Amino acid sequence: MPLRSAPLPRMAGHLSFMRSQTKAICDVGPGDLAVLGIPFEDTSAPHAGQSLAPRALRETSVYFGWHANPQFSHPVDIDARQDIQTDGLHERLCDLGDLSPGPDEATHATLEAATRQICSNGGCAVILGGSDHLAETVQSALPNCQTAQLGGMPRDAHDFHIAPLSNDGAIKYNSVTTTQLAELSQWRDTSKPLFVRFDLSVFETSLSALCDRPRLGGCDLDTVAQWLSVLGQQEVSAIMLTGLNPSKSGMGIVKVGQRLMVTALLSFIYARLGFGIDDPSRPTSKENVST
Amino acid sequence: MTAANATFHPPLCHPGYRLFDGPLGDVADVSADQIGVVGMPSDWTHSSRLGTRFGPEALRRATTLLQSMRPQGTSFDPDTSRLTKPAKDWLVDCGDAEITPQDVDATTQAIAAMTEGLTTAGAIPLALGGDHYNSFPACLGYSRGLETRAPNARFGYIQVDGHLDFSDRLGAWGSHNHATNARRISELPNIDVSNMVWVGIAGWVDGGDLALIEKQGGRVFSASDVHDLGAEEVMRQALEHAMQGCDELYLSIDIDAMDAGYLPGTGSIVHSGITPRQYYDLLDGLAEAPLGGLDIVEVSPPLDPSERTEFLAAEMLFRILRRFRTQAVTR
Repeated sequence: MPLRSAPLPRMAGHLSFMRSQTKAICDVGPGDLAVLGIPFEDTSAPHAGQSLAPRALRETSVYFGWHANPQFSHPVDIDARQDIQTDGLHERLCDLGDLSPGPDEATHATLEAATRQICSNGGCAVILGGSDHLAETVQSALPNCQTAQLGGMPRDAHDFHIAPLSNDGAIKYNSVTTTQLAELSQWRDTSKPLFVRFDLSVFETSLSALCDRPRLGGCDLDTVAQWLSVLGQQEVSAIMLTGLNPSKSGMGIVKVGQRLMVTALLSFIYARLGFGIDDPSRPTSKENVST
Repeated sequence: MTAANATFHPPLCHPGYRLFDGPLGDVADVSADQIGVVGMPSDWTHSSRLGTRFGPEALRRATTLLQSMRPQGTSFDPDTSRLTKPAKDWLVDCGDAEITPQDVDATTQAIAAMTEGLTTAGAIPLALGGDHYNSFPACLGYSRGLETRAPNARFGYIQVDGHLDFSDRLGAWGSHNHATNARRISELPNIDVSNMVWVGIAGWVDGGDLALIEKQGGRVFSASDVHDLGAEEVMRQALEHAMQGCDELYLSIDIDAMDAGYLPGTGSIVHSGITPRQYYDLLDGLAEAPLGGLDIVEVSPPLDPSERTEFLAAEMLFRILRRFRTQAVTR
């Protein structure tokens, strides 16, 4: 049998988010997206297993490590029929690894310091949770920050809540409307840091299938991706993913939740880094026959 | 490729269930115009999440249980307003092909030998996956059989799927795996890419593969097309395109085109937004199509403890085979 080798290991090797480069936190530069895992449990959560979420999210993200795999040509969003520009992604996306386990106070202090340093370096922290009880720690690292919240439990009336929706039967966020964008624009104070909380419960339960906080009336994937794209065009200091529990019965097997979150997060990453689709200098899918 | 394995072993697995609770038999027992079922319990050619080797068994069990709720013979089928026919009148379960783990060539030839025998005899092979690679050997045997039975005949191809599966190679898995099956089928002698149609494609696809398909005249309908145009219209256009200048249709049903929220028990999930109702409407659009052969793949029972995936897939078979399993009400 001939020896068959892959140009890039998909199931083996060092696991980083989207096969991105790894960096020390001191090397994060202006405009970088720095991924940071917080593999900790919230002992008050209804199910144990949130600490496994960062690894699960990274595993799913490897599917989208297109920029790092020479066997593929460029990706195309088949629904939009648009080429996706990935050049430069490898230079600006980096993975810092996970926070080390330790006493609770040390964990909070380390996360606060890490978030502060990433932001002071001009980067954006992409925090993979995990438990959402550490969200307040991230907020404390961003003085006077505004919080945009997708899913999760409402915390503060001053936050911008995107979903879950008020269940009045009339309002449906099937797509981001001009009115909603105006509301966001009116709410946003660009003199303050912006923190985005992205919880799995933003999704309609029939799609996320198994979520620690199942909610009916949530958003579909396209809507969440649109919101994250809009938010990615802002100067976001940190985005934190929560609500994923890979060890909840069935969920770790089907991987539906982590696939939804990573797919939606791509929209944020692309918008934040200024990598769009439909770059006019790039051949379209019909012009680029590489095989 | 190694020499064809001409000895059939119906079935290698425990024979507990047969598809639609039909009769068990050899390939030679299947009559012209009957459905001949071939199990392909192989997932050695999937690159990530395994478990489809248990797919054929699960489909046999699920169709049998659903069949038991629709008694055979003279019962009224509410979906079609027709009477159901006993499975023995239209189907023979030929058991599983001989799978040789880690030997893709031997497995390919074993599956192809069974579907070739069925097609040559004028029967319609229905292959149960297995991962989607196994669609290639199933179609390979169909292609060979068609060439024997009708040397000048051409066939069209429709693949309902979340993915194109048109890569030439996939990393360490080389040229024969679950991402290359459509590409290998496109190289068969009695099909042209211009008669190949994909339906339900979602998310990111490889730009080079897409461009190659469209340059050669193939058509791709995305999940958004299904939402925007409607399942019925998409399949009408798909069938029209696939059958241009062709005599028969080969259909490959990859269950993963359905949104993973509804159907999580499959190897490569997508979030297409395609609902069970939309998927069944797609298949209803092919119920009267001139099917020459078909397969259903990527049912992975271990990935869905709830078992709903295999029942959703079984219902797909009820839909696509309704022309065979029902008859008009005679007054």
